[in-house]
Amino acid sequence: MKKSFWLMIVLLLSLMVALAACGGNNEEGTENGGNDVNNEVNNNNDDANNNNNDNDAEDSDGEPQSGGSITAAMYSAPDHQFNPLFYSSAYDANILDIAFESLVKQDENLEFIPGLAHDWEFNDEFTELTYQLEEDVTWHDGEPMTAHDVVFTYTAIADPDYVAAGGVRTNYASTLAGYEEYVSGDADTLEGVEALDDYTVKFTFAEPNIKALADTSFFIVAEHILGDIPVAEMAEHSSAYNAEEVIGTGPFNLTEYQEGEQYILQAYEDYWQGTPYLDSVVWQVVDQAIMTGMLQNDEIHLLNRPGGVPAADREDVEAMDNVEILELQDLGYQYMAFKHNHGPNDSLTDKDSWVPNEKVQDVALRQAIAHAINREGFVDGLMYGAGQVMHATFPEASWAYNEDAPIKYDYNEDRANEILDEAGYEWDGDFRTNPDGEEFTLNLDYPTGNEIRERTAPIIQENLQAVGIQVNLNSPREASAHFDRIEENDTDMDLYLAGWSLASGDPDPSGYFLSTAAYNYPRYDDETFDQLMLEAITAPDAFDQEYREEKYNEWSEYMSEQLPVIPLYSQNVIYAHNANLQGITFKTHQILDDSHLWYLEQ
Amino acid sequence: MYKYITRRVLQFIPMLFLVTVVVYGLAQAAPGDPMSGEILDPDIPAEVLEERREALGLNDPIPVQYWNWLSSVAVGDFGQSMHYTGRSVSELVTSRIMNTLYLSLFALAVTILVAIPIGIYSSKKPYSLLDYSATTFAFLGLATPNFFAALIAIYFFSFQLGWFPSQGTVSSVGLTGFEYFIDKLRHLILPGFTLGLASTAIYMRYLRTEMLEVMGSDFIRTARAKGLGPGSVLYKHTLRNALIPIITLLGFEFGTLLSGAVITEAVFNYPGLGTLFLNSIQNRDYPVIMAINLILAVTILVGNLLADIFYAIVDPRIRYD
Repeated sequence: MKKSFWLMIVLLLSLMVALAACGGNNEEGTENGGNDVNNEVNNNNDDANNNNNDNDAEDSDGEPQSGGSITAAMYSAPDHQFNPLFYSSAYDANILDIAFESLVKQDENLEFIPGLAHDWEFNDEFTELTYQLEEDVTWHDGEPMTAHDVVFTYTAIADPDYVAAGGVRTNYASTLAGYEEYVSGDADTLEGVEALDDYTVKFTFAEPNIKALADTSFFIVAEHILGDIPVAEMAEHSSAYNAEEVIGTGPFNLTEYQEGEQYILQAYEDYWQGTPYLDSVVWQVVDQAIMTGMLQNDEIHLLNRPGGVPAADREDVEAMDNVEILELQDLGYQYMAFKHNHGPNDSLTDKDSWVPNEKVQDVALRQAIAHAINREGFVDGLMYGAGQVMHATFPEASWAYNEDAPIKYDYNEDRANEILDEAGYEWDGDFRTNPDGEEFTLNLDYPTGNEIRERTAPIIQENLQAVGIQVNLNSPREASAHFDRIEENDTDMDLYLAGWSLASGDPDPSGYFLSTAAYNYPRYDDETFDQLMLEAITAPDAFDQEYREEKYNEWSEYMSEQLPVIPLYSQNVIYAHNANLQGITFKTHQILDDSHLWYLEQ
Repeated sequence: MYKYITRRVLQFIPMLFLVTVVVYGLAQAAPGDPMSGEILDPDIPAEVLEERREALGLNDPIPVQYWNWLSSVAVGDFGQSMHYTGRSVSELVTSRIMNTLYLSLFALAVTILVAIPIGIYSSKKPYSLLDYSATTFAFLGLATPNFFAALIAIYFFSFQLGWFPSQGTVSSVGLTGFEYFIDKLRHLILPGFTLGLASTAIYMRYLRTEMLEVMGSDFIRTARAKGLGPGSVLYKHTLRNALIPIITLLGFEFGTLLSGAVITEAVFNYPGLGTLFLNSIQNRDYPVIMAINLILAVTILVGNLLADIFYAIVDPRIRYD
């Protein structure tokens, strides 16, 4: 959803309006803001402000109360694919996350905790995973949820027609035993998932599977609703958009909606973890430019990802008596990659055809560049402090992250100059030559679509030129054009900016860092680097999480030494909620878990 | 006259064909495809995207893709969206088209109802206080960007005064009958005025200038000399002649009725064709791009045809055969 070119303009202008409005706001705010709201809020405002990193906000104020309804805001309309098997947009996920559930979910450290399954165990070879399901779970229409629904869900993802019908979640089924046979149509049943009885389901994997919990954490859908629809027709069937047929097990049930505007979810009274406190949650689509005004007027109670409060508006929102904010690291991050190899088009996974890009092979050069870039400046200047410099590619909340593992390159021009001098990059006029004494220019490409990232590019150029590395900054391209050029062979590209948005499931980076991975855009090829990643996911050692942690520490350290890419920063998501809305569990990857515990103070 | 209209309508066909060829070619020439937006999530395997491309026919040569598209459109099937999984193009377009039509018609009504009376008055009493204030207002309207006006309108009329809703087309799902109508109308007022007042300036100034020019012409002097009343001179002779350029403008305006107003729609979160069009271009959702383009091409052609027909009605000197 890149609507940034005008969004940027709107944002700029809205800033102007906000500035212009500030003067009048203070005088008129008390008149129009409504005294009752202000008084009520002042009571709990003090501890509210201290809540910023406190995950159990529900404990800090009084008893939960039943009743009331909240409006939650998102910036863009969902794609209207409410069949979890086929959704792909984060905006649809806002709705699905409180209407559907999975066997296991994740806690604050991204470790797996019980969801619809209260217990699970692996066999000794780690090829079988058996779940015990909660027995009192019912679908929104009252039917009981059983192991057969689980079998149905994973069989549908493995269906031969699934991808052609628009599904992209095959990674949840492809590790199961018998997947190949089933997806090719050679087998009538999927061997890898089996209901042992109504409340026991067994997953069998083709090979010992380190990511078994993550792979079995997909939304469970109802067999009695979708069972008779051929998978090929499922995405366009009325059950994907007709609110009455969108049936999950979650605390809220989608009952009505006005396309592109509001989506009404009523509390499901027979929810297995107890009737939700709130009567309903209404998701409303609002424009970012007027979000702050709506928060102030109590018109919206919760602002979720994607987006959250823009960092530039944080102070305004923070100053509102009736609103609390909470800042958490985003799971995605931005990086600057070195294009290590060139090669013929469509050769991304065929490393034999690669030709090294001599300009960026020198590790010393890459390290000097890491010292030369003012990443702290990006966070302070461009993100108003709402972000962090990345030294490793794992989010801080993840168990795979260890602060001490990677080498931290601080912004240090002197050190950068020193390294370059030692490595033989001699000054010649304004810039340095390469060690062979030839003229040396790096080409930097970057995409549009992310305002902050766009603004970092010229700063990187300036930073590098300050230590004598000549950088030719190509004019930015629209994101799809940019990635097309990265995927295809563009021998003029030495550096490029990009970002990954990471799903929280498993920290394994091999899908985009392994030399043979289809997403290895930097075309980086290093044996040790690959080996450490593979060791971290190879059975049986890797079933010991401490062992994995250690491997990821080693990998992070090796990566920070070799710098195949320079991780730049990750932005924070700034969530905002009305001070009267309590009981939200804030986790790095998700704030919508346990929505049955949300309540409004009245 | 009918012969003329038939001939013009027949000319539409090759024109539309050319439009689709050009637009299809341009859309395909842009780098990226509907799948390239998905690559930011490394959990979606690259092979799956490739398989999706194959299933959507994106790997076929462009002329083949164009032919497939054309042959299904010829039988009235606009196909499936490539971005919105499982949704047909006609469903997507119809869900937005009425909203856009309401908004455009409302804005057009605002434009005409404000611009024409003021334009006439200004020309009747040029250099009067009202004329000057209308001119000032006109330039202010022209100079204020739409989104800025929209934000100011929301700030005052929605946040401060609470008169009108700021977002969407209805305030709650499930209203019916008269209540529904009033609710819809209330949601139209801010975006409608924001959009309508912006173009008011152009019409007002055009009409004023044209009126003054016509008033100085010989046939008006003749009309006055033969003793016609001031009202008759003004409305029957001057206004009718002064309306001709306005009709040309309106013909164009009609063409843009369905194109939607991207920025206004976005600020008011008014789900219309404009934002759908923009999103589908960004997502490379070719079937949706093409469908909206066809609709736009048809309305613009029809708008121009209507303008030509209205010339003949307003000015009897113009004849088509």
